[in-house]
Amino acid sequence: MSAPAVLPGEVGTVPAARSIRRFTAAAGRTRAGASLGDLLGDVYYAVVSFAIAGGVAAGAAQAMRMSLPVAPQAAAPTGLSLPLLAAVVLLAGVGVLVSLAGRLGPVGAGGAEAAWWLGLPVDRRGLLRPAVRRVTAVAAVAGAVGVALLEAALLGQPAGVSVRWAVTGGLGAVVVLLVAALVQSAGVARRRVALAGDLVLAGSGALAVGFAAAGTHFRTLPDPTWAVAGVAALVAATLVWLVDRRLDAIPARSLREGGSVAGQAMGAVVSLDSRELGRALGVGTSAPTRPWRSRLRLARGPVSALVAADVAVLRRSARHVVQLLLSALAPVLATAVPQLEGVAWVLLAVLVGGLAASSATAEGARFGEMAPVIDRLLPLSAKDVRRLRMAVPAAAMLAWSLVVFAALGRWAGAPGDWLVLGIAGTPVWAAAAVRAAYRPSPDWNKPLVSTPVGALPSGVAGVIARGPDLVLLCLLPVWIAILLQAASPVLVVVQAALSAIAVLVASSTSTDSWFDRLSKQMDAAEKDRRR
Amino acid sequence: MPRAVVARARDLLVGYGGAPVCAPVSFTLPAGRALALVGPNGSGKSTVLRAVIGLLEPAGGRIDVLGAPVDERSPQFRAAVSSVLDDDAYFPSLSVAEHLYLVARGHGVLDAWDRTEELLDEFGLTDHAKMLPVTLSSGQRRRLLLAAGFARPRSLLVLDEPEQRLDRRMRTTLTQRLLDEKAAGGAVLLASHDAELVDAVADRALHLDDEKNELLSPAAAAERIARTPA
Repeated sequence: MSAPAVLPGEVGTVPAARSIRRFTAAAGRTRAGASLGDLLGDVYYAVVSFAIAGGVAAGAAQAMRMSLPVAPQAAAPTGLSLPLLAAVVLLAGVGVLVSLAGRLGPVGAGGAEAAWWLGLPVDRRGLLRPAVRRVTAVAAVAGAVGVALLEAALLGQPAGVSVRWAVTGGLGAVVVLLVAALVQSAGVARRRVALAGDLVLAGSGALAVGFAAAGTHFRTLPDPTWAVAGVAALVAATLVWLVDRRLDAIPARSLREGGSVAGQAMGAVVSLDSRELGRALGVGTSAPTRPWRSRLRLARGPVSALVAADVAVLRRSARHVVQLLLSALAPVLATAVPQLEGVAWVLLAVLVGGLAASSATAEGARFGEMAPVIDRLLPLSAKDVRRLRMAVPAAAMLAWSLVVFAALGRWAGAPGDWLVLGIAGTPVWAAAAVRAAYRPSPDWNKPLVSTPVGALPSGVAGVIARGPDLVLLCLLPVWIAILLQAASPVLVVVQAALSAIAVLVASSTSTDSWFDRLSKQMDAAEKDRRR
Repeated sequence: MPRAVVARARDLLVGYGGAPVCAPVSFTLPAGRALALVGPNGSGKSTVLRAVIGLLEPAGGRIDVLGAPVDERSPQFRAAVSSVLDDDAYFPSLSVAEHLYLVARGHGVLDAWDRTEELLDEFGLTDHAKMLPVTLSSGQRRRLLLAAGFARPRSLLVLDEPEQRLDRRMRTTLTQRLLDEKAAGGAVLLASHDAELVDAVADRALHLDDEKNELLSPAAAAERIARTPA
């Protein structure tokens, strides 16, 4: 290409990318007014918080490991051994990492960097290296910590072996991330990488079911040697070099998309908004299709239109359908792994799996919360809309409950009683999903409370608990049944009553917590009394 | 002497998710000339511009800039093409002047601070030079984006509805600036709903449509714009 035709002045050589980054950072620091002391304070605070969190997690993992019974001498005819479960969870972790990498880039430049840096004719590699270093470091730490906790919880090897697991896990996560970055530089669409990760995640679930049914057993997993860790380090170093060479091959549109998603996701995490996080991670990962309109043939009026729309939303979101299917696996596997058959593990698996499944079914309600005009388009009261929004989650959770409670019935005996209990409890899951979807965002105008993880607005726990509170309280008969390993008719009747209460609570459009409402009612009664 | 061709599109097809937003686009833009893309909202003007600057992969056809296929990964391409879209994002701690300086210096302009001060004056931002862009009005931020487009070397200037949020005086300044751009040998490709701007600046206009795009004279394009319901 020839020299530019229009020159705003005398033009010399284009500066190095590093000088652009330094200028931006220096100007920012000057204006931010933060001193070295402030920075050291932030670093100290972050290290302490991380150490506390790490200590708590390690302690929990150790307690989990110590609570597991010794592996039975004879292999069970069906079921998973702990080492095999650990292998499946590792594979699932790889799937999650690939899926996240695809959704976030993994290399991206968002907002101001995209608008003001990417158009410069400087060496783009220099502009993007810090971003690559950041995501690589995060992947390494997450991989090391995740694998270490998994190993401590399920395998319980000596300290030296645990360290090798952690190091290899960290390096493995780095390799996976850098391969995703290479694929990004080859121009592969983000959604394809995210889909590959989702398939690996789904495949891990299918493998678990297959192994459990086939009665495949590993007594132990082969421990990684230092030679293996060395090879992983070499591969990671090679990939670092390759990715660095190819950074300038990543097109700007891919960098912008990834950066935009990462920025939106980070904002959601900082604001403690899990719904926004879900939306951010779902942006741009749906397959491009020719625009088509669902005819909503089932729609005959406002009621059926709303339900049909929610069905269409769920059907179009492969991620949520997969999440629903995989979350049914957790309790099924808990009853299939001999060492996880204890009531506490089964209860935890049903709780976590149920929360994950119900969360996946309420996307229509979340859209309604994000854009209230959607709910107001129909000639229905706000409470009626909330009740109708529970229809699709209830149908989906009914299918989930049939699978899970059939497994519970096989585990505890009397499958028929368990199925009836599961069906009776289905409305609670739906009510919890809709209540969580419509919960208000944390009010950052309220006084902040200092916590080990940073300043949080007061009342944030109450906001985040909206939804799970119904699950914990209104599914008490289910929890009692699991603890007693018996689903009695009395529990079924009580469950039916609590399900009705849960639907009533979730239909409410009040954004105050129960304590706030009780407090306001008491204040109003006091004022009336004084009058 | 024939002018060098700065941008050439041959049956360029652009869209999202496999669905084209307009009929295939063909045009030739020589140096020192301006081409305006006109049409109602949703006719594909911005989409065509994004394909020209490499932010969107064409679904078909071809688009060349300065004799080579569009590839924004090339530093030479980025040095030659200046674009002003609707990117309303700024570094939270950089002032108005520092944003302009960043663009100028990043393109190798040696007297970048002098050029920055000239542009601040031209676009009425001198009093806001030390302010943060987030504190400016939308019209002032628009002026900052436009100033940034002129702060650096270019052979092709791509503008997406540059008249948006500008008052009458600034529109006059912009019109003169674009005429000076052509006189200096630069090529201008703009999408616009402003009949006066198109009539004053463009040498040709391309009216985008689903079925067939139409090459118009600036006056005809201005009349078409004026007839389009608000």
